[in-house]
Amino acid sequence: MVIALGASFCTAFSQASNDIDSLKVQQLEEIVITATRNERTVGALPMPVTLIKKDLVKTMGSVRLNDILTEQTGLVVVPQVNGQGSGIQIQGFNPDYTLILIDGEPIIGRYTGSLELSRLTVGNIKQVEIVKGPSSSLYGSDALAGVINIITERPKNNQGNLSLRYGTNNALDLNGSGSLIHKNLGVYLFANRYSTDGYDLSPQNYGKTVSPFRNVTLGSRITYKLGTKTDLIIGGRHFDEKQDYSFDVLTNANSVRTYGDGYVKDWNLNPVITHRFSSQLKATGRFYTTQYSTNTLLRRAKDDSITYTDNFHQSFTRYEANAEYFFNERNILTVGAGHIEEGVSTSRYNDQVERRQQTDYAFFQHEWIPIQKLTVIAGGRYDHNSIYGGQFSPKLSARFELNKRISFRGSFGVGFKSPDFRQLYFNFNNQAGGGYSVLGTEIIREKLTGLQAQGLIQSYLFDPALIGKLKAESSFAINIGGRAEVLPKLMLDFNFFRNTIDNLIETQLVAINTSGQSIYSYRNIQRALMQGVETDLSYPLNDKLSLSLGYQLLYAKDRDVIDQVNNGEVFWRDPNTLVTKQLKPSEYFGLYNRSRHTGNFKIFYRDKEKGLEASLRVIYRGKFGLGGISGNIQGESVPSSDRNNNSILDSYDNFVSGYFLVNLSMAHTLGNGLRFQIGIDNLFNYTDPVQVPNLPGQLSYVSISYLFSKQIKTNN
Amino acid sequence: MIRSVSASLVAFVLILSFASCSNNDPAPVPLTAVTFKNLVADPPSGGYNPTNGQPIGVTNKFTFFSFSTGALVANADSLTTKWDIGFRGTTIIVNSGSSANGIGNAKGNTKVQVLKDIFDNITTAPDAGYLSDNQADNKKPVATSYAIPLGSGSGWYNYDRTTNVVSPIAGRVLVFQMTNGNYAKMEIISYYQDSPIAPIATTKDRYYTFRYIYQPNGSKSFK
Repeated sequence: MVIALGASFCTAFSQASNDIDSLKVQQLEEIVITATRNERTVGALPMPVTLIKKDLVKTMGSVRLNDILTEQTGLVVVPQVNGQGSGIQIQGFNPDYTLILIDGEPIIGRYTGSLELSRLTVGNIKQVEIVKGPSSSLYGSDALAGVINIITERPKNNQGNLSLRYGTNNALDLNGSGSLIHKNLGVYLFANRYSTDGYDLSPQNYGKTVSPFRNVTLGSRITYKLGTKTDLIIGGRHFDEKQDYSFDVLTNANSVRTYGDGYVKDWNLNPVITHRFSSQLKATGRFYTTQYSTNTLLRRAKDDSITYTDNFHQSFTRYEANAEYFFNERNILTVGAGHIEEGVSTSRYNDQVERRQQTDYAFFQHEWIPIQKLTVIAGGRYDHNSIYGGQFSPKLSARFELNKRISFRGSFGVGFKSPDFRQLYFNFNNQAGGGYSVLGTEIIREKLTGLQAQGLIQSYLFDPALIGKLKAESSFAINIGGRAEVLPKLMLDFNFFRNTIDNLIETQLVAINTSGQSIYSYRNIQRALMQGVETDLSYPLNDKLSLSLGYQLLYAKDRDVIDQVNNGEVFWRDPNTLVTKQLKPSEYFGLYNRSRHTGNFKIFYRDKEKGLEASLRVIYRGKFGLGGISGNIQGESVPSSDRNNNSILDSYDNFVSGYFLVNLSMAHTLGNGLRFQIGIDNLFNYTDPVQVPNLPGQLSYVSISYLFSKQIKTNN
Repeated sequence: MIRSVSASLVAFVLILSFASCSNNDPAPVPLTAVTFKNLVADPPSGGYNPTNGQPIGVTNKFTFFSFSTGALVANADSLTTKWDIGFRGTTIIVNSGSSANGIGNAKGNTKVQVLKDIFDNITTAPDAGYLSDNQADNKKPVATSYAIPLGSGSGWYNYDRTTNVVSPIAGRVLVFQMTNGNYAKMEIISYYQDSPIAPIATTKDRYYTFRYIYQPNGSKSFK
């Protein structure tokens, strides 16, 4: 039975680090760069930061980025709106409000707003840093809910690693990496190949919930000392994926058997040069260019005729210079400025014209330590964009250490997200149901003029002249928290958050055509409020065994709906009796796809001397409502949770029940560098084909890896 | 709890109403809500075109209804004042303004307003605020607008673009001031055949179920 379950081999990554696992050493090594753009210890930062280190990732047996993120307190992996893939929700924000970086540079290619996290292998990750709360003061657009920065491995010693993991669904993950240091040159090369047969949660339907796919990731990082004071680092990434589709396309009860291919490709190049002018001044020049493209071609099985083609191509290039100046131990100033060029061309805008936009920006940040127990960081960034204009994002944060056991921190900041290309240039006609069109704000007037000339407009419902330039969506956030040693060794981390969001971009119904179909565009209409508290308790029983408990309470609501409910303007109709009643304020649950309660409980065991590791992780996601999801790839329609005719989620609606996921892993490392691991994710095989299609059932795996190293003494 | 009153009760209520009209007796006869089921509003006989979503096999004709008779009015009577409201897809017209095509005395003047309230709580029709087709809200940029606003979220229904389901907004009550000077109030309950609890995109649509109270004595009271 066990063999049947676990007919899988897998690999974790390089057994590279020589870290000793004592807590003290760990504390010392908890250096993050994302929160301030400079290297700082996690504990000393005035904002909530989560650090996930490679050792932990290895013990968990994760292979793709979503595997790691889904187990962190306050992070919820949610299905994408098209039912394929998943994105990450932080403090209740949709996935497209979190900026995801690799080594400080943004990953592009957000298919339907959110980034497909399984595009990212964890094989070359050194650590993942998560900063919660807006960070637009340093990173500009999209850093509204927070920033996830994936720090990749750098050349260390002369060493190499090979690993293989095999698991359920024929999931095969192969890794190879090598690191070489010679004089002034350091080279780290990495390759990963991942393939899976996908999975099928609805075997009664033809095709699979997730189609088979395979991808290859190549990564490199070259460091070169140009002089004693000058370093050059060149990072690069190449990713290539192919998906094999076969499913029935269901439109209005007509089923068409379809097959085809999907291709995804991205690459980037990132040279960074750092020069230390003096012991006080360090300057960095960064260049980053990246491209992302997808191509999909679907054919009808009956006659091989092409039924659907789609392509999307995005480019992003950034030039940036920044400098860090140490006035003294108590005053550190960081300043920077840059220029971004972005472009998109896609069949979804009904042409292949490349739409471009430019952003110029400058930022500063001052760290001030007036007394030893107090750190204050003030900063701000101004972005000027060719579409949405100017945007200033200030942030102020402070940390106060009451004593060795208790510290408090607070931060106030503004985050923003620029309108995306879709909202500007979309030209989309829905082909199912009653039919409708969505037109981006930059093209709608021209399109409407054309439709009017053809006599196809029945009625305007909103003055198209009022559809203007979209403003950036913005949020003001307060995060107040702290860290306390409540009992010896028992650490409590807590953070209250309140995000007040304005100018959320929503679809606006503009007109109805002569067939009665709606024509939509976008406007800055919605206002929201996301608030709650996040707590983490961690308790190292001894130097081998540690326990942790995480919990997040979240209230995510539409502020306009709150007002309407308070004014008595919102009602609900009992679907059984058809009687209408007024909705009470306490009955408004909030936004769709948000769980009020989420949490996790983890036990990690690591005995470095015996080379043993084990983990048990329990992840909980509380009940939530579904809305705005267009069904899964197998054509099943996903019913909206709203069943009482008010289009909002209230306590009388249908909720998706909460669920627990239990993940187990065990590993044994031999003295010669060989490491074996087995594990089972989703032990109790929780699945919900229609409502939670991003959750495969139980997955077991086996992995083997080999680390070979040759220590060479270098001056590095 | 209001029980749906079946169509057979329509006749009963009508008898009551005529009685109160003829003998001019102010003794109040309690009015009861009547539920009209499955008013067929031009459903597409051939479903929807899978490539462009256009309905197939529609007549593009309105289905007319009269509150005073509680019954449908033949389409041939479109130029008369016999009908009060007309349904076609999600569009609802009233017999006034641009929708009233009769001439002279045959020109209808049924006006309507949409209230945000519970059907039973509206015991009296408002004094003012009734709109004719074609002279609605000045927010509407083009004059071809209707007294019951078209479109999702603006009039009587919400359309969910992801599920393609039309749902009548709870707490929207249409109050009519009719050509004959009488008042009626109405709540739309479903847009789908036999008003299923959870309609989906493929449920037969353009079948209205609504409840209404018609006050035949010219007063604004719905008691």
